[in-house]
Amino acid sequence: MAIKIPKDREVPFGAITPAPVRQQELFITSNWRIVRPVIDHEKCTRCLTCYTSCPDSCWSYNEKEDQMEWNWKFCKGCQICINECPADSLTAVPELDFEDGVIRLEKPF
Amino acid sequence: MAKVTEITVWTRGVVMDKEARDIANAFAQAAKKEGKFVQAFDNYEDLPDRVLVTTRKYVRISDEEIEMKYLYTNNHPDVVVIVEPTIIKGINVLRGMPEGGLLVINTNRQIDYMLKFIPNADVLGAVATVDADGISGIRTVDFSGSEGGVDAAGLGAGIAAPILGAMAKVTGMVKKENLAKIISDVAAMDRGYNEVKLQRFRKPRAEYFWGG
Repeated sequence: MAIKIPKDREVPFGAITPAPVRQQELFITSNWRIVRPVIDHEKCTRCLTCYTSCPDSCWSYNEKEDQMEWNWKFCKGCQICINECPADSLTAVPELDFEDGVIRLEKPF
Repeated sequence: MAKVTEITVWTRGVVMDKEARDIANAFAQAAKKEGKFVQAFDNYEDLPDRVLVTTRKYVRISDEEIEMKYLYTNNHPDVVVIVEPTIIKGINVLRGMPEGGLLVINTNRQIDYMLKFIPNADVLGAVATVDADGISGIRTVDFSGSEGGVDAAGLGAGIAAPILGAMAKVTGMVKKENLAKIISDVAAMDRGYNEVKLQRFRKPRAEYFWGG
């Protein structure tokens, strides 16, 4: 039998996260972004500076394909990775140039 | 109770917060000069102190006294103003809009391209775009103004002025002359008034005037 929790006893949004997971799907913040970092895999040296500098851990190294992967759901477009990249392989492109990455949340949070 | 026209202004926290607040305040003040009853207030449930987070500002305009003073959000906005165009990808900005409403976007892109990101655009009566970034050239005017402290830039500097001009022309709710008495950047407001692009979709309802 399912436990019925009264409305006033429910925990706030995002207080409990299922573990272990790499990302919390309930808390997508990609609508903060005005520009998006676009990587040039030819120039990229796989030094992982973007991985260490990203405040939201949006860059990860894909061993199978030997290239960096970008997580569009949580990147807030802060451009720290673009400034830190020693190989200049990242460029800031306006988010509206892309037709993907649409989430259209009902509320700001 | 007479019809209350609700205007919601969507913006980004901190970097474009003051501009959107100026749009709400100046538009309401100009309507008040014309004898209307107005309310204008800042976000209530959003997070305005975080950079780039989507936040809202609200205006209500009516011919009679507005009685809904304890409701802090516009649940059925007749006009939605988008200060930063990327917001339409991340938020359902038309939520609660009645049939035939108006969407004003600050962008230099084509209206058809912007509508690709709005699947529920069939409720719209018209879309207007104005290139406020191109007209004023300044996006962030004053950080201190966002905190309620010293507002050295004055009301309606930066991108707020062209957007206000566009709103005045398209909505027909306030006169350009009354706006000019309030805001500081009158030249940019005139350019926004003249350069706004409008696309109508259907015959607007009797209470709506999406002219130009």
